[in-house]
Amino acid sequence: MNAINRYKEVSGTTDKADHLWRYTPWKKVHPTGDIKIVPEIDKEVKLRLINLDGTDLAEGISLQKGNVLEEKIEDIDPVATSFIKAVSEKSRWVLRTERKFTSEAPILLEIETNSDFNSLELVLDIGEMSEFEIVTLIKGESDWTGFLRTGRIGDGSNINDITVCLQKKGVLLRLDSIALGRDANMNTGTVSSGSERTKADLRYRMAENGSHLQVLGSILSREDMYLDYHIEIQHDAPETFSRLDWHAACGGKSRTIGTGMLKVAKGSTGTDAAQNFHNLLLSKDAEADGIPELEVSESNVVGCGHGIANGPIDENQVFYLQSRGFSKSDARSALIAAFLNSTLVKMGSTVLHEWLSKLLTSELDAMNK
Amino acid sequence: MKTSQEARDVVGDYKSGWHDTENSTIRFDSGLSEKVVRDISKIKNEPEWMTEVRVKAYRHFAERKMPTWGNMSMLEQIDFEKVCYYLRSSSATENDWDEVPEEIRNTFERLGIPEAEQKWLSGVTAQYESEAVYHSIREDLVAQGVIFLDMDSGLREYPEIVKKWFCSVVPYSDNKFSALNTAVWSGGSFIYVPKGVHVEMPVQAYFRINAKNMGQFERTLIIADEGSSIHYVEGCTAPTYSTDSLHSAVVELVALPGSHIRYSTVQNWSANVYNLVTKRGIAHENAKIEWVDGNIGSKLTMKYPSVILKGEGSHAEVISVAYSGSGQHQDAGAKIHHLASNTTSKILSKSISKDGGRGSYRGMVTVSPKANNCKLNVVCDALILDDESRSDTYPTMEVANPTARCEHEASVSKVSDDQLFYLMSRGHTEEEALALIVNGFFEPFTRELPMEYAVELNKLMALEMEGSIG
Repeated sequence: MNAINRYKEVSGTTDKADHLWRYTPWKKVHPTGDIKIVPEIDKEVKLRLINLDGTDLAEGISLQKGNVLEEKIEDIDPVATSFIKAVSEKSRWVLRTERKFTSEAPILLEIETNSDFNSLELVLDIGEMSEFEIVTLIKGESDWTGFLRTGRIGDGSNINDITVCLQKKGVLLRLDSIALGRDANMNTGTVSSGSERTKADLRYRMAENGSHLQVLGSILSREDMYLDYHIEIQHDAPETFSRLDWHAACGGKSRTIGTGMLKVAKGSTGTDAAQNFHNLLLSKDAEADGIPELEVSESNVVGCGHGIANGPIDENQVFYLQSRGFSKSDARSALIAAFLNSTLVKMGSTVLHEWLSKLLTSELDAMNK
Repeated sequence: MKTSQEARDVVGDYKSGWHDTENSTIRFDSGLSEKVVRDISKIKNEPEWMTEVRVKAYRHFAERKMPTWGNMSMLEQIDFEKVCYYLRSSSATENDWDEVPEEIRNTFERLGIPEAEQKWLSGVTAQYESEAVYHSIREDLVAQGVIFLDMDSGLREYPEIVKKWFCSVVPYSDNKFSALNTAVWSGGSFIYVPKGVHVEMPVQAYFRINAKNMGQFERTLIIADEGSSIHYVEGCTAPTYSTDSLHSAVVELVALPGSHIRYSTVQNWSANVYNLVTKRGIAHENAKIEWVDGNIGSKLTMKYPSVILKGEGSHAEVISVAYSGSGQHQDAGAKIHHLASNTTSKILSKSISKDGGRGSYRGMVTVSPKANNCKLNVVCDALILDDESRSDTYPTMEVANPTARCEHEASVSKVSDDQLFYLMSRGHTEEEALALIVNGFFEPFTRELPMEYAVELNKLMALEMEGSIG
């Protein structure tokens, strides 16, 4: 069955009782609002793969355009996935690294979204024992962008993977379905301060023994932004480890949503997993919602837990900074930056952190203007 | 099959026919229709407005779809046409124990109800199938104006109060099962505590399902007037049959300014009972509502005691424990809505899954935009005792006020080997050690119960833990 028919078959099956669709119904994400329509997107999305510091890319990494094999994607929402597959025919890419690929410099994958509608499918094929950092930067002024990323992190690989969403407007539908190989180690971060509406469904599967995952979020929402992130981590193998640490600062009339699902399958002995959502509410009209869920079917675990905390900026901390010479607004900005930086700092190397910090600072300045 | 003449006299020739089974005085045939709903109301000689509420609720129930969340495969097994919606085993509610029919009396005596009443209760209601069969209250409380009746008597004797508050906290349209309860409710408790009166000792209701394929739909309404307090305790049991029974209650609590209601439940339905209950309270200014909720039995429990913190300074607490054994799914939790400023709440949930059982915490806390300076704390702990069992946590937190401080934490773990080893080094067998650890795990719940209930719960848990090792 091709993707269009597959989408038409499932398009009406989203249910508010499913926490993935609780806060953002599919019709709000769909580019036309009419969920029966599959629009034709004739322009391809522009991609650029470079080193963050401008040096040449190391040998062993490639970004190839072409048909992606019609692989079966498990454990991901069929509606959004089949829709992106249906409208991404002209923008299918594979990012491949050879076995033992390493790069000293962080790599930047730029996705420019300047036509009205953009949709892109990217397959990650990360070779065994690879070691590198990659930033995927989504920017532009499109009305609607779909981005489906699937793939596998090779055995024993060690990668830092950060996605930065800085679109000036429009809707971003972002889907991840990534499996981790044996003893693979993945740090995957999201830095977001863009798009009017984001609907993200990020899923990671610890399919083989000894895999290690850290999912991090630094989310700054302002004005009328509506950012809805669903993160699902599935432990399907013994001795696997995962942490989710999600920090969202919500100002203006914005709303951020964080729904997390941590599943531990029977037989995943020795699992060590935790999820934490922290929300900082910056204005009286902002709202932060969260549903961190746990489904544990294995008794012999190191521990499985989750937590969520919502609160305002601590006025004692503001007062302290004022006593040290900060103005009130500078004190607040510094505390917001520190709150978001606590996850940002874990996303990658010092070089990468500096680059991300600059980006975050300029976004905070934009919010304060 | 012999038909019941008394029933015929009241409602005419019932199309599905009447029959006496067990020792029932009246038993409706299985199945639900608008006529069944009207007939229940007619048998009880209710005012017209109540009949109309029942009929509206029935129509809503018939139209409303089953929930598309929770354990849908278990919910789909409920066959509403096989349930008996009304069964009366005694012709009246007695206030003299000796007047209760002997078999029913024996059942409740085995459950220890009369003994408990003499020792530590302010009042007792005992419900058998659809109707209350025994009811009593201490005379000094009557003298202070406390009303403690079964719900049917409450409607007969205090229709204005019931009309004012009935469905005010849980409207029939709230969910499919609250609609079902409103359509066919029978029995339950009606309590009114006047201003400033403190009912020192708990009042108790005991619910017993005895017949096969029985539906029990009690309705409880508790109103605590300004500055008053009351502790209500309920217990539930049923015999084991190969076919399923349905228990779908609605409880409404109204805590007026400065009052305090504590509602404790020890649910030990047999493993063939669907326990689908809606419990909700409204707390006005500086009032306090506590739900202390223990779920040991049933096939599927879906119960989320909730509190609407409507008045400034009000407080809610929900302490719940759940034990899920073989074939059981305890889907329990709590919901708290902070609508007013300076409101506080606390949820503590503990669950144990064993022998393939599934325990789920499902909760919701919301803070509305106008509710300033709210504080809430949610803690969920789960123990999984073997490889066949499962534990889930589904908490929802919606915060629309920047001054709110909200925390939620949950953990799932196994029994610590260190704790087992220590207790065994002090002379306990492994089984005793496990039972002690489990009782300790549930201790924050048991310490909130009246002592006799706490002792009973510990015994129940020790029985459930038998055979856990090896």
